[in-house]
Order: sequence, then structure tokens, then C-alpha cells
Amino acid sequence: MILGDTSLENEEKENNFILKNDKVFSSIDVNLEFIKTKYNTLINSDIVLRDFIINARGKQYKAFILYIDGMINSEILNDFILKPLMLRNKSNLYDNDQTRVISEAVTNNVTVRKVKKFNLPDYLKSCLIPQNSIKEKENFSDLFSGINSGNCALFVDTLPIAFDIEVKGFNQRSVEKPNNEIVIKGPHEAFVENIRTNTSLLRRIVNNEHLIIENIEVGKITKTKCALCYIKDLTNTDLIAEVRFRLNNLQIDSLLSTGQLEQLITDTNDLAVPQTLSTERPDKSASYLLEGRVVVLVNGNPYALILPSVFIDFLKSPDDRNLKPPFANFALAIRFLGTFITLLLPGIYIAITSFHQEFLPTELLFSILASRENVPFPIIVEILIMEISFELIREAGLRVPSPIGPTIGIVGAIIIGQAAVSAGIVSPILIIIVAITGIASFTIPDFSFGFHIRLYRFLFTFLGYIAGSLGIALGIFVYLSMLCDIKSFGIPYMTGVSPLDSSKGHGYFIPQIWKREDRTAFLDPQKMKKQDKISMKWKGE
Amino acid sequence: MPDTKISTKEAIMLIISIIIAHTIVTLPATLLKNSKSGILVNIVYVSILALLFAFILYRLFKNFQSQDIFDISDYLGGPFLKNLIGIIFIIYFISSSGILLRNFAEGLKVIYFPNTNILFIILSFIITICITNSLSFRSNIKVISIILPFVIVSIFFLFIGNLPSFSFERVLPILGEGFFNTFVVGTGNIIAFSGISCLYIIPPLLKKPEDFKKIALTGIAISALYLILCVSTLLFMFSFFLKVDEILPLYTAASYIEYGSFFQRLDSIFLLIWMLEICCYLTITSKFSSIIFKKITNLKYQKPLTFVFPLLIFSVALLPKTVAISKLLGNILYRFISLSVVFCLGFVILLLANIKKLHYNRKHKEGNQ
Repeated sequence: MILGDTSLENEEKENNFILKNDKVFSSIDVNLEFIKTKYNTLINSDIVLRDFIINARGKQYKAFILYIDGMINSEILNDFILKPLMLRNKSNLYDNDQTRVISEAVTNNVTVRKVKKFNLPDYLKSCLIPQNSIKEKENFSDLFSGINSGNCALFVDTLPIAFDIEVKGFNQRSVEKPNNEIVIKGPHEAFVENIRTNTSLLRRIVNNEHLIIENIEVGKITKTKCALCYIKDLTNTDLIAEVRFRLNNLQIDSLLSTGQLEQLITDTNDLAVPQTLSTERPDKSASYLLEGRVVVLVNGNPYALILPSVFIDFLKSPDDRNLKPPFANFALAIRFLGTFITLLLPGIYIAITSFHQEFLPTELLFSILASRENVPFPIIVEILIMEISFELIREAGLRVPSPIGPTIGIVGAIIIGQAAVSAGIVSPILIIIVAITGIASFTIPDFSFGFHIRLYRFLFTFLGYIAGSLGIALGIFVYLSMLCDIKSFGIPYMTGVSPLDSSKGHGYFIPQIWKREDRTAFLDPQKMKKQDKISMKWKGE
Repeated sequence: MPDTKISTKEAIMLIISIIIAHTIVTLPATLLKNSKSGILVNIVYVSILALLFAFILYRLFKNFQSQDIFDISDYLGGPFLKNLIGIIFIIYFISSSGILLRNFAEGLKVIYFPNTNILFIILSFIITICITNSLSFRSNIKVISIILPFVIVSIFFLFIGNLPSFSFERVLPILGEGFFNTFVVGTGNIIAFSGISCLYIIPPLLKKPEDFKKIALTGIAISALYLILCVSTLLFMFSFFLKVDEILPLYTAASYIEYGSFFQRLDSIFLLIWMLEICCYLTITSKFSSIIFKKITNLKYQKPLTFVFPLLIFSVALLPKTVAISKLLGNILYRFISLSVVFCLGFVILLLANIKKLHYNRKHKEGNQ
């Protein structure tokens, strides 16, 4: 019994040692067993192990390939990997000497020959497998990462390495129009889920060899591929190093979206203020890259993160640069007004009706009071009922299938608004206030920032109810102070707003096209000028 | 460059912000009472004096690059003098902030919250300062540079909006109660520029210490223009025997503006902007007190002081038992403490330190020869 126990323990230890090992074994049988155990091939239905014999220089080697069904292109696998390796042809039947003489010299009647020994991995790569992307890997972890993303692994007996061959061929969404960031004058392409498609979209726009796309894997389990994109001779090197450092030091199991990544790499999430721009537009990403910023793409996500981002970035639309400055600046002013109204209008309404009645002309005040005559609730309850109803309609409109979405909005607005007034639950003036606030909130281009403003609107409503303009003033002061305290990758969040002198190349309003000479100064880019002082030389001729 | 340093423009805004905070409450009324119709001449006169004083400060600080009054006191009289001066400046900031807050809160109580205990109005400001005091100095300065333009615009608007109500003949007699009162007794009105106090503290906080002269002179010049607008609005609008006794005279002036048929009175917007300005002032004085305390006690961290100074301001604000006492303190104690700390003590310390340095340099030269 004791002997039996010891042998069992030894066997278990040996198995554990093998399983913990990460290096590819020389023995193909051990590799096969290892993979079967690791991938649970007995229960995993889509893991395919295909063994065969390789003919090379007249010799035969046992081999097998490993791939995941549904993630590879079968035609590529058959035509460019299995056929050349398995079928007999002139190349692999050549059985001459295994060594090749490179040079020969005779000195003192002694012949010195420089020979190159036959090297199977080189021979396989350079002569037998006509596939463009093939890498030698010594570690299983690297191989598995490739296999999980749609590659196949080739194991050959006697070799302590395996080949990671790119044969990706899974179905994916094609490049479509952007859904959330629509522009009038500009390209209509959006990122998709595939990271390589996204990087190619960026490359096509930037069209410069200095665009660097670094690969970084995040997540111990998912090993999600992230692409760190920047322009080598433009972007501040400290900024690149900081982003790389943060991405490389994420000890998490999984990364599934850019939204998660945003929360993981920003300086603080305390105020729920978005600190990185998220965009589905390659042209917007490229324009920020050309400003000297860093873009991060996450595999499986049709969004890019733009780093660092400051307050005024969240109020800008990709269309601004495509329009003439007077139109763009008008739109920017409207958006600022929209943000202001979204944040403060309900609070100001409460403050005026509760504390500062002198603000309004007597007739208007009487009209407001008369409309509130039948409402049994205090004004705060009235406004909360309508604001929460509006948020319910908005959330419902987002979650229901898209054909029904607009219907819910219209039905909700008409029925709830009209019925609430008729039932004497809310006053008609309040419907106007809530409707203006709601419409104003749609002018904010960034979804996260819009959400943030909508959330803080409740706080200001509450402050206005408690202390009128005093509450709102103190709230504004604390809110501004906190915004001024935030930094996005070392850049003060309110840059461009305060201090006033830091807005060079990145003011809120857009200058004439011939005045856009400087890149964003606060990023401290390697090249400050992006166009000549006289950019339209043709005018001088 | 460390992010704790402030730029030249921010420093100018800081000085203006500290100077103009007092104009929102009782200061213009006090000035007007002292100089009557001669106030305009008097303000121009004290502005020139303040500019001269700032220039002298610049000359005196020149020999002590990037050192504040506490480092200079340390040089002059060792750690004892440094600590003493530090404590005096903390008392100055706390007391002036407390009195200002109390007077402003009294005004708010009269206008909007007649049934609310003054304690709650003061407390709401104190909670705000506690929060903002826990943030970085840079963030405080940035908020000032956002809010200050609105405050200045509000005063311009107040002046222009009230133009139809102005009676320009109120400026006569132009020397008020005579030459002596305007130019000799009226010299005391230099307390309107007691915001100069921050010049003693900011040298080590500046990104460009060489811009000290520009900061001091520009800050005071802009503040002088602001003061002229304030007092002239009050002078041309009200008989200084009557309305200037109001607790917030500028608010009273704001309520006279007519806006047509849609809005009745927008004075609550003015008050909202001035509340923000008061918050800026309280945050800065509280932050300065923390900086000074940290400096004299060699504390490593400033965080534990976050609530100490706002609470001291709170205590001072609650000291006066009535509005009359708080107004009296605002007029007399503030005048006395400003004159003695800002315009006498700081100046004397700098002067003596310069003499010591001159003496030391001469001795050193003789020794070398």
C-alpha cells in the first residue's frame, strides 16, 4: 500500500511538473498529451488536433496541428499548410546530403570546408510552408494566445519549438457607418470589433510610416490585445511611456471593453467625470493622433480611447473642423449653453420659484403660481417626478429594440407630460423646464460626459431647493474646484478653460483654418507647428 | 516644472481676488463714509500710494529672491521671529476672513434667509471651504482665474446698468471734507489694498519670480480700477448719508438696474457671482494659513490642516453677537489689523532684513579686501 501510494504521488508530481511547464517539449507525444490536458479536448468540441507525417529531405517526421474550429480559414490551412507538408514533391523528397558546403579553402594541403548543417525549422519555414505570417514559439503560453485568436500551431517531432501560423478566418462585421457620432461633412466609416481592421483604418488615414502601433496584452485569462497607437516623431515620449506603463501594469483577469479599460487607467474615478474620449470614428482618432495624443484600441471593441482628454474635448464634435469656423463656433456655443442648461436649469428654476421670486416680472410669477395651484406636491417632488420619468423614458428608449425606441420616446413624452398636467401632478411650466433640459442634454456630443452632467443635475436641483442661489453658488464652486483638481495623464482637466494661457492650439472655439498653426501646447509635442505661418501660399501668387 | 507653482497671470488674479473680496461687503461704504464726495480723488491717491508701496516691496524683496516674509524673518531674527510673524499673519488671515464671512452672511440673511439661523449660512460656506481646502493649491488658483472675470464683468455691468440713475453732481465738492481729510486722514483708506498681504507669501510659489514687480503693480492697478468703479457707482447713485449704511451696498445698487419687461430684477445673479468670489477669498486665506502653519512648524503633510483653519474662521465668524458688532469689527478691527500687519509689520521686517543684508555684504566685502 505504502509503495503504491508513493508511486502514485510521484506520478502526480510528474504530471504537475509537466502541466506547470511552459516550454514546448521535444517529444511530440508529450506535447500532444499536454495540449489535450490543457485544452480539455475530450469535452471541448471545437478544439481540433490533426496529426500527420511531414516529408522533409526524404525523412519523415511525426507532426500535428492545433486550431480552433470556426476561427480559421480552412482553405488557407489546407492549401498552404497541410498540402505542402504532406504531399510529396520535388522539394521535400530531395534526399541529398543533409549538410551543405558554403565555402571551401585549401591551406597547406588541408581542405577547410565551411558547411551549413541541415536545420529542420528553417527548412520548414523557408521551403515547405508558403504562408506569410509564421513565427517560432518556445512557450505554450505564446502559442495558446495565437491559437485563441485564430492562428494554428504546428508541432513537429524532435523540435523543442512550435510554429504559430496565421490562418485567421472568422466571420466579422464589415466596416459600417458610425451609429453614435454622426457628421454632416466628413467620412462615414466606423471602427469594428477586429483590432487589425481598426489599425488598418487608422493607417489608411494617417498614411505615414511614423505611426506606431504597439501590441500590449491585458488580462491574465483573456489576454486581450490592445493597440497603443501614436506618431513617433510627434507625440510626447513621456506621455507614451506613461500610457504604456499603465497598460502593462494592469493585474486583472479579463478586459472586455474600452469602457473597462478607461476606468482602469484613469487617474481617478471619484467624481464620475470621463477623463478619456471614447470614439467610434477613425478620422477623429487620427486627428487626435496628429495633434500628438495617444490612441488605445481594444480587440473586440468598436471604440478607441483618446488620451489624455480634457474638459473642452467632451464638447467638441468631429464635424467642427469640417465646418467653417463661424458655423462650428456657433454650434460650440450652443453645445456649451446646452451643457449649462442641462446642469443648472432645474436647480435655477427651483431657486427662483422658492427664493428669488423678484427675478421674474409679477405677471409671469402669477402665471407660474397659478399653474402650480392644483399641484399637491412641493416643487422638489414635482421636479423629481418629471426628471425621473424623463430618465425612465430615455433608458427605455435605449434598451428596447431600435424600431420601437422612437415610439416609446414620443408616447412617453406625450402621454406622461399631458396626463401628468391633466391629473394635476405637475405644472405645465415644469414640463417646459424638463423638456428644455432634456433637449439640451442631447447637444452634448460625448455620451459619458452627457451622463455625468445629467447625474450632477440632480445635485444642483437639490442644492437649489435647499438654499436657492447660495446652494447653487456653493455647488458650482465645489464642482469647479474638483474639476480643476483632476488630471488626465498628468494634464490638468480644465486646461483650456483655466489657466487661460494654456489654451494655445487648443482653445474651445475654432480659429480660421489659416490660423491653426500650433499643435496642442499642453501636450508638449515634439513638433509644435503643424502648418506654415502662411499656409495658403497660392494666395501670394 | 512642479505643478504647485503659479503663473504670472494667476498670481495677478490672486491679488485682485483678495483685494476685491472686501469690496463686496462693507468696504466701499466704509471708504465712502470716510472721504464723502472726495472718495474718487482719495481712491486715486491711495491707489498711487499702494502702487508705490508695492514697488518698494518689490525693491525690498529683490535681495531675497524666491523667499517669503517668513524665510526673511528667519534670516533676520531666527526661528522665533519666523514663528511670531507666521502666527501674526495666520491671525490676520483668519480674523479678516471670519469678519468678512460674518458680514456677508448677515447680508444674505437679511436678503434671502430672514428665518434661518446665521449659523447655518456660515456653516454652508465653511463646509465648502473644507472641501476645497482639501484640494490642491493649484486647483484653488485655477478656480479663481475662472471666477474672477465674471466678478469684474459684474461690476462693469453694475456701473453701466446704473448709468441712467447716476447723479454726477454728487462728486462735488471734489475734495469732500477738505484737503486734510482727503489726503491725510484718507491715507488710512489704503486698507482697501490690504490684499497686498499675499505679496509677502507668494514669492516661493511663483513660476517666474522675476515677474514679481509686474504681478504686484498690475494686480494693484486693476484692483484700483475696480475700486474706482465700485465707489463711483455708490457715490453717483446714493446720498452717502443714507443708503451706504446698507450691509451690502453694492447689492442695493444692483437692485436698481432695470432690465425691461421679461426679467424684473437680476440682483440674485450678482449675488451668486459675489458668493463665488467670497468662496475664492475664504479658500485662499484658509490655504495661505495652512501653508504658513506648515512652514513654521516644518510639517511634512498639509492634509491634517484641511479642517483646522476653516473651523477657526467659523469660530471667528460666530464671535460677534449682533450685526452692529460685526459691522464695527469689519470697519475698525479690520482697518487696524490691516494697517498694522500688512502695511507696517511686513514692511518693517523687510526693511530691517535688507539693512542686515547690506551690513553683512559690506562686512563681507571688507573682509575680502
